[in-house]
Amino acid sequence: MSEIIAANDGDFESHIKDTPMVIVDFWAPTCMPCRLMEPGLERIAASHARQVKVLKVNVNENPKTSSRYFVRTLPTLLFIKNGQVKTQIVGAVNPVQIEKTLREVG
Amino acid sequence: MDKNWDVIIVGGGPAGLAAAIYCGRALRKTLVLEKKVFGGQIVFSDIIENYPGFSEPIVPADLMEQMAKQAERYGVVLENDEALGLKREGGAWHVDVYQNQYAAKAILYAAGSSHRHLGVPGESELMGRGVSVCATCDAPFFKGRKVAVLGGGDTALYEALHLSKFAAEVSLIHRRDQFRAERILQDRVFRNEKIKAVWDSEVLRFKGSQKLEALEVRNKKTGAVAEMAFDGAFLAIGTIPNTGMLRGLVKLDENGYVLTDISLRTEAPGLFVSGEVIGGNRRQVAISTGMGVQAALSCEEYLSSLE
Repeated sequence: MSEIIAANDGDFESHIKDTPMVIVDFWAPTCMPCRLMEPGLERIAASHARQVKVLKVNVNENPKTSSRYFVRTLPTLLFIKNGQVKTQIVGAVNPVQIEKTLREVG
Repeated sequence: MDKNWDVIIVGGGPAGLAAAIYCGRALRKTLVLEKKVFGGQIVFSDIIENYPGFSEPIVPADLMEQMAKQAERYGVVLENDEALGLKREGGAWHVDVYQNQYAAKAILYAAGSSHRHLGVPGESELMGRGVSVCATCDAPFFKGRKVAVLGGGDTALYEALHLSKFAAEVSLIHRRDQFRAERILQDRVFRNEKIKAVWDSEVLRFKGSQKLEALEVRNKKTGAVAEMAFDGAFLAIGTIPNTGMLRGLVKLDENGYVLTDISLRTEAPGLFVSGEVIGGNRRQVAISTGMGVQAALSCEEYLSSLE
């Protein structure tokens, strides 16, 4: 079972380079919708373990990565395919919608 | 996942979860569908101070997590999926979700409301790039910066107070010359040196290329239009009810709110409503939970009458 990986400014690039499909969850401890969305993301990480890597980036500790993608709202989910941002979801969503977006992007 | 239920509750906010507790304790097979996060819109706030029974401010997400667990304790199933269609056929209700269809003897509709947007140029383009609907979520991005909050109700003033802990300057842009918010919040705002009110004003345009840079603001009394520089703008201008799915099933008023009796029944058999889909609700967690309980009791009365 694959889990969500906490990425940081230092290792973010290497995480997105070696995986065809990555979902990045930008979050902060003060963001309550982020906290409540996490179980859904864990479910995605587990059920798509072979095809998708799920990263989470704490924006308070990793300003470089969040400003690189102009993230100004939490939660923001980025869908990155082969290093390129394919789409993003701003605001809390359910796992079914995340899966739907994955199918559209993948 | 089971296809057949006694009750399907659409919406997992305070109204839906309070109803779920009562349906569960009535030993009804109950499913709650929530399209975003369990807990509803209140989890976008950082504190709640007026929910009876707590002498100290509490974190809304904690309160709502407890409410969800309380429902689960009585056998209620909580499912993070979206109700996409609702119809009555062959004496039962049918609910479509993304990849499934469920049937139920009764529906308790508590889908709440969504943040109202202004619908002016630049707003949707800059959403998530300086334009936000959640100060608790996004305040840390605006440390030492200039932000605006649009609105004059409880939510707007709470957002401004929260932002003042991070931002250098907070402007509360309101279309009237006084706030509607609780007096205790107004007192705090007027005493806060970082917050200033911009009265009688409306936002005509959100400006910026990659991110928000300024707002075009018109003074409604003088007609003067000014461009004001801001790094962030938070919308707190009210909500619209999530009742599109009920169109044609029940009577809605001109703003889309459900018209119901005090027992929260509707003219459709076995369809009950609660929370912010009902007009006149002042957006209080206590009101929504109370309505949820009432709707669940009416629903139980209906289910018993079928037996």
